[in-house]
Amino acid sequence: MTIALETHSLTKYFGGLTAVDNVDLIIQENAIFSVIGPNGAGKTTFYNCITGFYEPDNGEVLFFGKSLLGLSPDQVAYRGISRTYQNIRLFANMSAMENILVGQHSRLRATWMDAILHTPRVMKEEKEAVEQARKLLNFVGLAGLGDQLARNLPYGAQRRLEIARALASQPKLLLLDEPTAGMNPHETSEMKDFIRRLRDELGITILLIEHDMRVVMGISEQIAVLDYGAKIAEGTPTEICCNPHVIEAYLGSGAASGLKNTEAQPA
Amino acid sequence: MKKQFRHAIITGIVFGIITSFLFLIGFTGIAADMFGDLLQNKSAAPFMNLTPQMLDMLIFLGLIGLWAGSNGSHKVKGQTDDPIGPAVFGGLITGLVHGLFVSVLALLVGTLDAKGVKINTYLYQILPAVVKLFILAKTPIQGALFHLVFLTATGLLGGILSRGLGRSAWQSRLQKKRNESFSKISQAGIFNKIRSNRMILYSVYGIVLVLLFLLPLRAGQYWNYTIGTVGVYVLLGLGLNIVVGLAGLLDLGYVAFFAIGAYTMALLSAPAPHHLLWNFWIALPIGIGLATITGILLGAPVLRMRGDYLAIVTLGFGEMIRILLKSDVLTSFTRGPKGVPSIGGPTLFGKPFNSDIDFVYLIFLAVLLIIFVTNRLQNSRIGRAWEAMREDEIVSRAMGINTMKQKLLAFAIGAAFAGLGGAIFASRNQFTGPEDFSLMVSINVVALVIVGGMGNIPGVIAGALVLKGLPEVLRQMQDYRVLIFGALLVVMMLWRPAGLIPSSRRRMEVERDAGVQETAGEGREK
Repeated sequence: MTIALETHSLTKYFGGLTAVDNVDLIIQENAIFSVIGPNGAGKTTFYNCITGFYEPDNGEVLFFGKSLLGLSPDQVAYRGISRTYQNIRLFANMSAMENILVGQHSRLRATWMDAILHTPRVMKEEKEAVEQARKLLNFVGLAGLGDQLARNLPYGAQRRLEIARALASQPKLLLLDEPTAGMNPHETSEMKDFIRRLRDELGITILLIEHDMRVVMGISEQIAVLDYGAKIAEGTPTEICCNPHVIEAYLGSGAASGLKNTEAQPA
Repeated sequence: MKKQFRHAIITGIVFGIITSFLFLIGFTGIAADMFGDLLQNKSAAPFMNLTPQMLDMLIFLGLIGLWAGSNGSHKVKGQTDDPIGPAVFGGLITGLVHGLFVSVLALLVGTLDAKGVKINTYLYQILPAVVKLFILAKTPIQGALFHLVFLTATGLLGGILSRGLGRSAWQSRLQKKRNESFSKISQAGIFNKIRSNRMILYSVYGIVLVLLFLLPLRAGQYWNYTIGTVGVYVLLGLGLNIVVGLAGLLDLGYVAFFAIGAYTMALLSAPAPHHLLWNFWIALPIGIGLATITGILLGAPVLRMRGDYLAIVTLGFGEMIRILLKSDVLTSFTRGPKGVPSIGGPTLFGKPFNSDIDFVYLIFLAVLLIIFVTNRLQNSRIGRAWEAMREDEIVSRAMGINTMKQKLLAFAIGAAFAGLGGAIFASRNQFTGPEDFSLMVSINVVALVIVGGMGNIPGVIAGALVLKGLPEVLRQMQDYRVLIFGALLVVMMLWRPAGLIPSSRRRMEVERDAGVQETAGEGREK
């Protein structure tokens, strides 16, 4: 097993606040790894440190053995890390197809001269890109909606389009930030299956921030719990839901028994 | 019936006030002159004791009357679908009220005028001639009666016409047609076929090209000059469209690159102050190149700023260039405020360009070239990256877009287009001075991009036509030109906030489903 992503004592301060506090994580390739924790625990900041939006104050981030520190977000994207956002951030006034095509930016090579001259190489590349985008639309179940403006799509479709856009760069690691936020139970369960398909069919390693415990417990192989920026627990779903620290910090004392029942039922 | 009655009365009052106001600012006379120009009937024989000018005014008033009638006969809420009765009734009442207003006004001013009161001391547009025109050179009572009858009749006619054509009926029919065409588009039916059928597409291009070729030959010198100016603004607009419309960088100092293009052309090809007398075709690429380099040099530090800050810095830069050109420091180099005269023109196959027609063709060529380049860029990886940056800069970075590089590219290409426009502009005018490059140019270009429709080539062209062309067309109205122009802008932005021709997305997914295979290639450049 190769290690996809490693962080060593990753730390980020905002003034006097320690948003991410000495976090060590090891994520195996092809895993579904969840990060949970109460609001303000530093989960999204952790993502931002990995993707190059924030410069960590201390620590190391290794992606397949190579350091990501000091890289700008676009360089991190080139290395094969892609992400979605807690509040959907599509290019609202572009069509769904175009959103996916922008996602392919890092894979395409056309320069401005190529674009003006329509060199055969670029025409071929462009044709393949459009073809690829259609395939991705089909994959996320948005076939036929490709020419709609992103902002006109229904909420669930926007979530899936955002994932399709993230997939367009053919990432090795996909960071999902609350993909089921605002979804009803039916949509949530669809999203859960969909995330599993991403891993099984495309072989992408998935790092997941999620609040819905049914999703987290149902699909993750490993879970890390953050509280006040620090990792307070890590382990398999069963280990996590019995962990007294986690129950105190996040799940609440009533949750543990409830979750065990959920676990007993087939997901 | 009661509701219809009230609606008609109110409409009549509104239109009565509108028409009275138009008369009080003297617009009736101006409108009559405009219709006269349009119909070329100024020297026609009098008809029923009415001079052509009066007839022209009556055409104008008649149109307003028709409009009033059709408005007054609007279907009122809760009204049953009775086809003609309420419409005729509404039109009649509206016309009557409208007519009453105007006839009272005519009676009033007519009587005052007949008594020798000089109305134009109070309302300076109401000259005796205007009053005479308004009451049709008859006695005030006759004139007033005529207006009453005339406007009632046109109101009635408007009501009947609107229902006859079915005001609500044609609106719903229009709506239906619109829906149909939309569904056709979404079903990738005939619309796509036409669009992707190259024969039709190219023949449309061909017709447009032929029209563009013929236009300058038909137009007079003044119009050719105007067309040229509009053309230069189209160039500027297309350049700024890349910067503002696509990449979302608000550049208020765009005129600086225009100035650099113009001054490069001027200094290299004019006899004074340097006596270089270079060929136009050599100076042109140098002008474009210098503008591009300036764009990059300015952009490198400045593009780190966003939004308003960027706007302020670029605004300052635009003014800096103008003031620098005027300043004493550069007087020996640029002749300072005196400007550079006798700028050389191009020659092609030994034929010097000396008329405005030649330059119109040159400008058309430049515009076509720029449209081609913009179109290709827009529908490429680069164009998509620009638009993504405009939509959400942070996310576009996470998508692997090097935003700094793309912004610089957009800035440089925009500057290059402005340099091209400036060089041609200077060469055509044969003179250029610092005052050609005032802040107003930048503001005008930004306005035309916004009014036309951001990020859209036809929109920019429409914007240039409206902003630079319309004031010339409105020249008839002299003092009201700016007023009407401003009002039009306000109305336009209210009705079409996304611009005259809002940008539309290229369809990519259904294209294939329509079974049009070859469009995946070059056909997509449209």
